[in-house]
Amino acid sequence: MKYVGKKLLTMLLTLLLVSFLVFLCFTVIPGDPASARLGTEATPEAVEMLREEMGLNRPFFVRYGDWLLSFVRGDFGESYDYEMTVGELLADKIPITLTMSLMSMLLIIVLSIPLGLYTARHEGSWADRGIYALNQVIMAVPAFFAGILITLFFGILLKMFTPGGYVSYRRDFGGFLAYMFFPSLSIALPKIAMTVKLLRSGLISEKKQDYARTAYSRGNHTGGVLYKHVLKNAMLPILTFLGMTLTDMIAGSIVVEQVFSIPGIGRVLLTAISHRDYPVVMAVIVCLAGVVILVNGLVDLLYQWIDPRIRLEAQP
Amino acid sequence: MKKKRNFNLIAGGILAGGMLLFILAGVFFLPQDPETMNLELKFAGMSLSHPFGCDNFGRDIFSRVMVGARTTLIVALGTVGIGAGVGTLIGAFTGYFGGWLDEVMMRIIDALFAFPSILLALVVISLLDKGKYQVILALGIAFIPSFARVVRGQFLKCRELDYVKNARIMGCSSLRIIFVHILPNTLNVLVPTVMIGFNNAVLAEAGMSYLGLGVQPPDASLGRMLSEAQTHLFSQPLYAIFPGLAIILLVLGFSLLADGLEAK
Repeated sequence: MKYVGKKLLTMLLTLLLVSFLVFLCFTVIPGDPASARLGTEATPEAVEMLREEMGLNRPFFVRYGDWLLSFVRGDFGESYDYEMTVGELLADKIPITLTMSLMSMLLIIVLSIPLGLYTARHEGSWADRGIYALNQVIMAVPAFFAGILITLFFGILLKMFTPGGYVSYRRDFGGFLAYMFFPSLSIALPKIAMTVKLLRSGLISEKKQDYARTAYSRGNHTGGVLYKHVLKNAMLPILTFLGMTLTDMIAGSIVVEQVFSIPGIGRVLLTAISHRDYPVVMAVIVCLAGVVILVNGLVDLLYQWIDPRIRLEAQP
Repeated sequence: MKKKRNFNLIAGGILAGGMLLFILAGVFFLPQDPETMNLELKFAGMSLSHPFGCDNFGRDIFSRVMVGARTTLIVALGTVGIGAGVGTLIGAFTGYFGGWLDEVMMRIIDALFAFPSILLALVVISLLDKGKYQVILALGIAFIPSFARVVRGQFLKCRELDYVKNARIMGCSSLRIIFVHILPNTLNVLVPTVMIGFNNAVLAEAGMSYLGLGVQPPDASLGRMLSEAQTHLFSQPLYAIFPGLAIILLVLGFSLLADGLEAK
């Protein structure tokens, strides 16, 4: 329990630090939000009044505390661009990006574990070498180029989906999921290659351990040893990797959303950046950072729950 | 097993060397002017004078890939230069001296490390505005944490070794110990890290330019070309294939090279 508490405290502190850094960055940038809102024609008095109204004249730490408090309460401020609160703007988009990330995660798990097991079992065979070479190439493909190739091949040549024909999840959930499949695949592809490579080398080195030999000598067949004994141990580093991957994919989805014209969080962030809509940028960044920190923390906790050795080491 | 390791090194060397040669050749000789537009050649197919065909303005894709790959390479080198340079300095000093500064720096680095680098670069871009040099700075800053962590780990390990203690007894200054004694011993870890960082930089630059935040037109960059090509995917698929292929070959070459070096 001590370990869990300590971990949670670190996560909270990191999140606080991130929010402070983000607030600091967006406060020191040149340009005054009040005069930006009123345009160049505004009189100094009007700007001053709006500054007072927006609370820009208060000391830095008061403003930070205020922003943080309302953020915790779920009030992310108001968008400069759209006539709505940032919360409303994001609530609509979060399910889209979340679906995409979860779908790619599912694809990674479903495809890479069997492939990793297969290549480790048939180490050195032609199939293993072929998959190794293919893996190396796929790892070098950026996710958005994979997306373009998939659009070209499955969309234009095979006509399996309409490029750019995004279906809203409110209107047709089945069609939405079907459209999200190919974007998810393009995010997942490079990660699948990495996971297979990692899993294969993990399995091969675990296979040579004493406990695997003992399992063989007790009369287990190759498959039994691999699935029941070796896979469990080889999965530990994979878990950490998948945690990191999930955070990477959330960022990667920003680019892939553009390829498939999906109106998700990434689209909101990019529009906000080019329009200098800072409340939106800040909210998205802090939220994404929160997800990243949360996922990494959960993976750490999961890890020590699965492997009690880590729990023992952490105790003084 | 030994044969296979050599294969990585050789194949990586050939690919990376070939791509570098291709880019270098573009500095001295371009088959066509990459900016000249010729509407008669719009979406022209492959031919002897235009080996990769022509784009939507009738510009020669081969020459544009040459120039674009050069831009991408320059941005990636700048990024790795900033990231590895500053990251190594931070890692070396915090790892060697330790103390409260190390604690504070590492907390900040950990917080930044939790950020995916593209997200971090987007924050910097939104503060600085878009453009080629801004992207170099943004990605460079985004890459500092990973280098700082690797170098710090190495310095922590080396700090207590006998040769460092000897050097200290002989009266070497801390600066000398850090740069002359310890730093060369971290190269075997630092060099593959730099190569992997270079690859990530190429991918990140392509991503940023694809989003329209990096290199601005009319400058060619591989990511920029891909985003233009995507709108014309129906009429000219070749336009998307070749810049993408250039990215893949460049990244593949350096990742094989890094694998080969690490195994050696």
